Amino acid sequence: MSDREKLPTIGALLWYQDPRAAIAWLEAAFGFETRLVVDDGQGGVIHSELGLGDGYIMVVGPPSGQAASPATLGGRSTQSVHVQLESGLDSRCEQARAAGAAIEREPADQPYGDRVFTCRDLEGHPWSFGQTLLALSVAEMEAATGHKIET
Amino acid sequence: MTAGFRSALFYQDPKAALAWLEKAFGFELTMLLEDAEGNVAHSQMSFGNGYVMIGQEWSADHKSPKSVGGKNTQTVNIQIETDIDAHFERAKAAGAVIVAAPETQFYGDRTYRCSDPEGHIWTVSQTVQAVSREEAEAASGLKITGWL
Amino acid sequence: MTSKVYVALRVKAAPERAFAAFVQEIGAWWRPNGLFQTTPRAPGVLAFELGEGGRLTETLESGKVFEIGRISAWEPPSRLVFSWRQANFPPDLHTEVEVRFEAVGEGETRVSVEHRGFDQVPAGSAARHGFPDEALLMRLAEWWRGLLTSYRDTSA
Repeated sequence: MSDREKLPTIGALLWYQDPRAAIAWLEAAFGFETRLVVDDGQGGVIHSELGLGDGYIMVVGPPSGQAASPATLGGRSTQSVHVQLESGLDSRCEQARAAGAAIEREPADQPYGDRVFTCRDLEGHPWSFGQTLLALSVAEMEAATGHKIET
Repeated sequence: MTAGFRSALFYQDPKAALAWLEKAFGFELTMLLEDAEGNVAHSQMSFGNGYVMIGQEWSADHKSPKSVGGKNTQTVNIQIETDIDAHFERAKAAGAVIVAAPETQFYGDRTYRCSDPEGHIWTVSQTVQAVSREEAEAASGLKITGWL
Repeated sequence: MTSKVYVALRVKAAPERAFAAFVQEIGAWWRPNGLFQTTPRAPGVLAFELGEGGRLTETLESGKVFEIGRISAWEPPSRLVFSWRQANFPPDLHTEVEVRFEAVGEGETRVSVEHRGFDQVPAGSAARHGFPDEALLMRLAEWWRGLLTSYRDTSA
């Protein structure tokens, strides 16, 4: 009778002051589809899963204990989420901008072969989105970045 | 469409974090980019079917919990298939600060929570079978006397 | 405010077909769960009486019919609301289920279920199994996800 799906090994959980507003915003800005919300009826979201492609994040709040939203930490964050897309990076950026995301780095090709933009969401969580333009060998990547790469 | 999600964690000392995460959780370093001064420009550690990126505090807004009074704006959940107790013992031996020791809730979950040397909090859960009503009631010590 | 459990997924069908599969084929896609047993002698076969005011019933092996709830909003192919009560709920407790069908792209429908009010099952109730709110709502969410997954396979 187990209805529990197999979960990815590693999942990101983001804290928000107003998780219901965050869920609506993340759908509008980044195209997430909410697939599960457990709302305690007192303004709190106990658990949620917002999917994009075959990946997902968890949005919960309001924060308690050691948890905090960037909105109450002076805009500082301790982690960020990177989303690697297969296509549509530039239109994703325009969608985010239209929803009110603060674009910090406009879409641009990176020397390591990805096109990337970064932004902040409604409570200040940092996000980066990338799309692979071409696959580089390690040697090519070292040459492009000027960094030594250990694999 | 597929979309890959990765968490990037900010540390005052990312090199120490790379070593600690390998020792404590068995993460494997799969990529490391160093600049000319030997600082971590980018890194990836893999575990199971996912990976995390370990980096430095790269702006005034991207901070280790150690720099913001121990607060966490995001956390990483690790899902493991088997033997959460061995996982816990290994993390503890590596110096993880235990926030909540592994405990099986009567409703079926077995989870522990710890923080790493810079205060990033990690939640580790073992995949469990959903419990039946009978099992849950037996474990919770509640005697259900018939139906209303 | 009341607690809400929300689950959603996409099915490969137009809203008309998705709505019809939900209400007409519930007997085929429904999966009973011991934690949310409707009556002591469940499971039986579920069926909707189509239209506003129609009942959601479970017909047991004995032939007895148990009423789980009634349809309070019937708006094919976009929305359906019905009440949900288990035999072990207190007499005055009814929870509510809202189902929405939203066309997304070609031949696809996003189907969401929101089940409201389950936190009002009292602490001592047999329907709660001693679970705290968080665990009870999580299990309810997981069950609905399983139900929708089964429904998706039926409706395609």
